[in-house]
Amino acid sequence: MTRYKYTTVEEMPPLAFSLESTRKIPTGSWRHVRPVYKNKTSPCEVGCPAGEKIPVYFDLVRQKKYEEAWYKILEDNPLPGVTGRVCYHPCEGQCNRKPYDEAVAIHNIERFVADKNLRNKKLPQVSETPKSEKVAVIGSGPAGLSCAYQLSRKGYRTVIFEADHEPGGMLRYGIPEYRLPKKILDKEIADIESLGVEIRMDSRIGGNVAWSELEKFDAVFVAVGAMRSRKMDVAGEGLKGVYTGVDFLRDLSTGIVPKVGRQVLVVGGGNTAIDAARSAVRLGKKATILYRRTRAEMPAVPEEIEEAEKEGVRFEFLVAPAKITGVKGKASKIELIKMKLGEPDASGRRRPVPVKGSNYTMAADTIISAIGEEPDLSFLPYSFLKKGVRLFVDDDYSTGVPGIFAGGDAATNPNGTVVNAIRAGKDAAKSIDEFLGWRTQSNGLSHDVVHPDDVNTFYFPHEKRVKVPRIAVEKSKASFTEVNRTLTEGQALDEAERCFTCGTCLHCDVCLTFCPDVAISKDKDGEYVIDYDHCKGCGICVNECPREAMELVPEGAHEVEEEAVQA
Amino acid sequence: MINRMSKSNGNGGLLHPSVDRVLVIEGTHAASYAVKLARVQVIAAYPITPQTSVVEKLSEIVSGGELQAKFIKVESEHSAMACCIGSSISGARAFTATSSQGLALMHELLHWAAGSRLPIVMVNVNRAMAPPWSIYVDHNDSLSQRDTGWLQFYAESNQEVMDTVLQAYKIAETVSLPVMINLDAFVLSHTSEPVAIPKQEVVDEFLPARKALFKVDTADPKAFGALIGPDAYMEMRYKLFQAMEDARAVIRDVDLEFSAKFGRSYGGLVEEYFTEDAEVVLLTSATAVSTARIAVDELRSMGFPVGLMKLRAFRPFPVDEIRALAQRVKKIGVMDRNISFGATGIIYQETKAVLYNAPVRPSLFGFIAGLGGRDITPETIKEIFSYLLNHDEPERETIWISLKSDSAGQEEPPIPEGPGGRMKSEGV
Repeated sequence: MTRYKYTTVEEMPPLAFSLESTRKIPTGSWRHVRPVYKNKTSPCEVGCPAGEKIPVYFDLVRQKKYEEAWYKILEDNPLPGVTGRVCYHPCEGQCNRKPYDEAVAIHNIERFVADKNLRNKKLPQVSETPKSEKVAVIGSGPAGLSCAYQLSRKGYRTVIFEADHEPGGMLRYGIPEYRLPKKILDKEIADIESLGVEIRMDSRIGGNVAWSELEKFDAVFVAVGAMRSRKMDVAGEGLKGVYTGVDFLRDLSTGIVPKVGRQVLVVGGGNTAIDAARSAVRLGKKATILYRRTRAEMPAVPEEIEEAEKEGVRFEFLVAPAKITGVKGKASKIELIKMKLGEPDASGRRRPVPVKGSNYTMAADTIISAIGEEPDLSFLPYSFLKKGVRLFVDDDYSTGVPGIFAGGDAATNPNGTVVNAIRAGKDAAKSIDEFLGWRTQSNGLSHDVVHPDDVNTFYFPHEKRVKVPRIAVEKSKASFTEVNRTLTEGQALDEAERCFTCGTCLHCDVCLTFCPDVAISKDKDGEYVIDYDHCKGCGICVNECPREAMELVPEGAHEVEEEAVQA
Repeated sequence: MINRMSKSNGNGGLLHPSVDRVLVIEGTHAASYAVKLARVQVIAAYPITPQTSVVEKLSEIVSGGELQAKFIKVESEHSAMACCIGSSISGARAFTATSSQGLALMHELLHWAAGSRLPIVMVNVNRAMAPPWSIYVDHNDSLSQRDTGWLQFYAESNQEVMDTVLQAYKIAETVSLPVMINLDAFVLSHTSEPVAIPKQEVVDEFLPARKALFKVDTADPKAFGALIGPDAYMEMRYKLFQAMEDARAVIRDVDLEFSAKFGRSYGGLVEEYFTEDAEVVLLTSATAVSTARIAVDELRSMGFPVGLMKLRAFRPFPVDEIRALAQRVKKIGVMDRNISFGATGIIYQETKAVLYNAPVRPSLFGFIAGLGGRDITPETIKEIFSYLLNHDEPERETIWISLKSDSAGQEEPPIPEGPGGRMKSEGV
């Protein structure tokens, strides 16, 4: 120990401080736990079926790097303009901000990013070298587009066979213009094509294109969707004035205005029913939705139900059609029967049970049945394994016939949601890649998911969720103009600011600032380095980290881990 | 209040060239603007009435980008001072503001700041200590911190608040000691007066960037304020004592330099008013001084030989100035806006102590007035002067003025007769 060298007051410094550096005192030896940086998975990423890296692209939005943010989304989803508008956003249901105040409006930010790049035709360069194998995709809906896109990014030549005259499947023919403008869909499909994906229109496999045509390909992905309305199975279903939701919406999408009476009855509780009812309102009609269960069981997106109500759509619950009668082949009346809720069925929802003798009749000249869609698999040349009305596939989307994979509404996606179809396409692409002898890297998501309690909310003042701008109800009822608007840049930046960025280190320097031992520093690349000779393991950095990107591990545990890696 | 601006600038009412603009602002905001002009780098404070508007204004100034400073919100005054200490020891110019109980909570760290020789500047809005709760002025809060090693100034006007903050950084950084500037709750803190805001470039010339004596350096970590043995602790205390002694000259010099640049002077540690030929002088501080000026003017006009000494600096205590005054006056009355229980008013005690070894010792009177925001009016001052003029010696050590009491035992002083006529008896 060095003794001080001063003997008189004149020689002494004004303040007592050590003459030598305290660095030589290895206070790190006091430590029994050590802080480490470890990114974790945010719950929104887990909640997003497409697996979008939400915290990462949000951070890019905050830095106003909108093209990079778009590229980040495009890694997992080629249709952000579509999902930013129509996705049922399960990500937001998982958002850690939800129990704090309100979930972050993730899908609105996704849409903002997509729309910011509406004129940007430059997709990210894909580094993979071209491969010799070719893959055919049947159907250009979200599952088919997603699969072809991902395969193309992996270097495969991909051809989509589309039976219709235009690509997009249900995105084009099932979702009305006021929710998803065609120009958005066209742009994103053009983006996919720009990667080299070929879409052959008017090419119906099993129709004008023989199944044998597919033999030229090394693998096939069947993504024909569920384009056929399920039958109500009531008498009079074939009368004039009775439409299926699918046909009704398809007509509107192709510019045909269906002949409907003043009173439109829509049977069903899903998104097709809501779309049909809201479209009928736009044709100047009164629309009533008849649903056999209650509002709580409606499979439609809650926001859509609210919008329909705002626009004047009426709802009648616990009622089902019994028969339709007509005059001269035209529907004129519908007989309905009241229902009550019984025991839960396979879907977990309570089964509707008819109330005997409760039948009653209503005048009805226009009835739209929208009780669900199912795939039309009659084009398949031989029998595949089925699960109900859909194709059976394994966890890897293989059908049992070597080289033939299937996904989307035709196989894996009974709820008919866009994002689940996108996920099926993406995951099937991975399986096809592996089937063709290549090895796909994992997405690197850690299994540790950040929980609401892990977030240090001290750093996040309460802020209200953005109010999505929309056109006035009076206006929206009168036309097929898109109802919801894109967030302004200011709104998007404010909303992105609300994101906790759970589990992803943003280099915010809170750890470095709070370390009482100045044991955290940054290296030349800006990465944090912990000086374990002086870190006492107090844990303040870990405790203070706003977003759970650090953790404390028992001293010695890291050595065991390192040895395991070496072994 | 006295219009000190027109009095001290020699341009016949024109503004001094150093003035950027004149704003009508409260005392708290005068402090805030001064902090901005001083280019303070770290501000850490916890809100307490009546200090809050000092920091509110600063938060606006910082968030508006007018001042490049780190504004740290803290959970207590103790933490506020800890932040100031941490930032000051790393070389930054630091500021905090508080009041009353908040200052009391800082107590431990006030010793730390001074012992670490850090030139932190603090504005304390003088507010009476609780209980009973009071948000109004008296000086017990700051005077309770007498022995922590901080310089203490008491301001008379909003302009003086601003000017003293600017002077304080210069003084603090010269002697390496922290400075506390006190202003009376509400009487100054929330009263608007015209304040000349100096030009930034003139302030920059007067107060260049801080050159720290020593700095923490994370690349070469040292133990600061470390344990020291009995063989050296005393010397370290002596150094602090000596720094405070040295501060007397520094305060005087800085005031002269300030006067040359800005055209306003406050006399250093004290300011004297009609003391040249006075026989009876009142010694007091803060806003009561401006009230006393009115009473002195009136009594002078009536021919009474009265004068006033404004105690501007309480630490270091103006020993030489008070001894010099004692050489030429017969009586000194000290009006304390504080009370030390078991003793007397604190400034009275200090004055007495200074005079004990003086060659000439005039009669000394201690008055207590204006506690907890009780108004000190010209009548209050005249009552004190009346007592002084009518007594050769005080009847008791502590004379409470305007105490509501049937049995205070305070004899009504007779109304004095002076050469200029009878003194008015109202309020006396």
